[in-house]
Amino acid sequence: MAWGTGSWPDRLQEAIEEFADVFDPMERYEMLFDWASRADVLTSEEWNEANRIHGCQSEAHIECQLDDSGGFRMRGGADAQIVQGLMAITCLAVNGLPPAEVVDFSPAFIEEMGLKASLTPSRSNGFLNMFERVRSEAARLIGNNGGIE
Amino acid sequence: MALDIAAIRADFPILERKVAGGRPLVYLDNAATTQKPRQVIDTMSRFYENNNANVHRAVHTLAIEATEQYEGARDAIADWFGAKRENMVFTSGTTEAINLAAWGWARANLGEGDVVLLTEMEHHADIVPWQLLAEERGIEIRYVPINTDDGTLDMDAFDATIDEASLVCVVHTSNVLGTSNPIERIIADAHGRGRGGAGAKVLIDCAQGAPHHRIDFAALGAEFVAISGHKMCGPTGIGCLLVDSDTMAEMVPFMSGGDMIEEVHLTHSTYQKGPQKFEAGTPKIAEAIGWGAAIEWLSQFDMTEVHAHCRGLGRWTAEQIRGIDGMTVHGEHDSDAGSGVVSFLHDSLHSEDLARLMDAGGFAMRTGHHCAQPLLRAFGVTSTNRVSFYLYNTREEAVAFVEHLREVVEKFA
Repeated sequence: MAWGTGSWPDRLQEAIEEFADVFDPMERYEMLFDWASRADVLTSEEWNEANRIHGCQSEAHIECQLDDSGGFRMRGGADAQIVQGLMAITCLAVNGLPPAEVVDFSPAFIEEMGLKASLTPSRSNGFLNMFERVRSEAARLIGNNGGIE
Repeated sequence: MALDIAAIRADFPILERKVAGGRPLVYLDNAATTQKPRQVIDTMSRFYENNNANVHRAVHTLAIEATEQYEGARDAIADWFGAKRENMVFTSGTTEAINLAAWGWARANLGEGDVVLLTEMEHHADIVPWQLLAEERGIEIRYVPINTDDGTLDMDAFDATIDEASLVCVVHTSNVLGTSNPIERIIADAHGRGRGGAGAKVLIDCAQGAPHHRIDFAALGAEFVAISGHKMCGPTGIGCLLVDSDTMAEMVPFMSGGDMIEEVHLTHSTYQKGPQKFEAGTPKIAEAIGWGAAIEWLSQFDMTEVHAHCRGLGRWTAEQIRGIDGMTVHGEHDSDAGSGVVSFLHDSLHSEDLARLMDAGGFAMRTGHHCAQPLLRAFGVTSTNRVSFYLYNTREEAVAFVEHLREVVEKFA
């Protein structure tokens, strides 16, 4: 299944609609802070150089593994709440999917949520770096699993 | 006569913009780059529409017009900075200007045993070139530390090492703290006591100073002054290094190619005299002309009033931010050394989150290390938020900024 514009997992589609209904950018950020508080967080004690995402202005780390049924599972941690919120939504998007579907997952959902500023390809923004890392971790997990996905 | 801010703002089309869902843009990132008045935009458009040609070479009409405008801009800019045209080398900005001083002069004239004295307040552009040169030439770099309580230079430490310095490089006004340094005293001491009394040369980084003060190169007496056009209403990609004549005679080109030569043979070349020797290749023609237009526009104002206006906004804003729970403001804004730059940090709200939340309210401010990581380390932080005012900013904008900041902290911290 190729996930992208017009074809998102149901739980992500609900979140996209929730965000897209809000036109005030401050309200969208309030929602992101709320998501951050509900995230399955990689705590700062688990942060290390290997799981650090470079290119983020904030400190950001992710860990990815396969769950018991072979689905992709990531956890993320960041010192900036907006980044933590973006990580929480990314978890919602990709967790539980077969890693092969994560490899090709489009980051366009962030734009559809009205969080396009987070996609600006500047040094002050790490979402794309983080998402690229998620996809490369999925590719690595496929390799570790003998490429059976 | 007080500045007519409404009339000033009318010259800046971009200040009419709405951002963040229809909110008026409040641009407070002027230490990064200033906005451009219509006069600069129109001058550059007119050049490209009517006069565009390469300079110094061809004899056709456009080439002559372009050369006249370009060299006319050089005259106007040099004059504004109290320099002669033969003492001004066009560069892409302050960074290239400092690199020209490092690789054009210091590389040929300094070596083992020479001390280059910097300060902890320097922008990376005034640190890294010297580090690279130290690796190659064996010079020693020392730093004047800062007093973290008020954000000023530790002049006792300066006194303790100035006698051994061969070159002193110091920022006129800090891009992080807004502190303006005692440049006149530093230059006098470097000349009188540096190199064991024989005199050290001085480089002043005026990237932040030039937009707020009339820099008088002749009166200052520093050997090198580095300036950017884009922080004083000019276009990006243009700046200059002002160099005194004796020092320029000691310089060798660090970039070479067309336009800087007299004759090129298969075995050797001879070079132009003066600034052109250091301006290889097709110059930044439209940018220089645009910077000239910016200076002509700025020249209608008393720069003392411009500085007082920016400093007043900075001082008021710093005082208000200090009153918000959890906020630390770095630097001293009540003293004469203050300017229109205010750096601050909240103890629980991440600087990047804060910057985004302010952007959502239409407020453009900077976040990060501001290309001054050693300075931020001295304060024990890795990033700050920064607002920086210029002559088109209003008290109403400062009030709105502080109100939105309070709301953000109350809601999100």
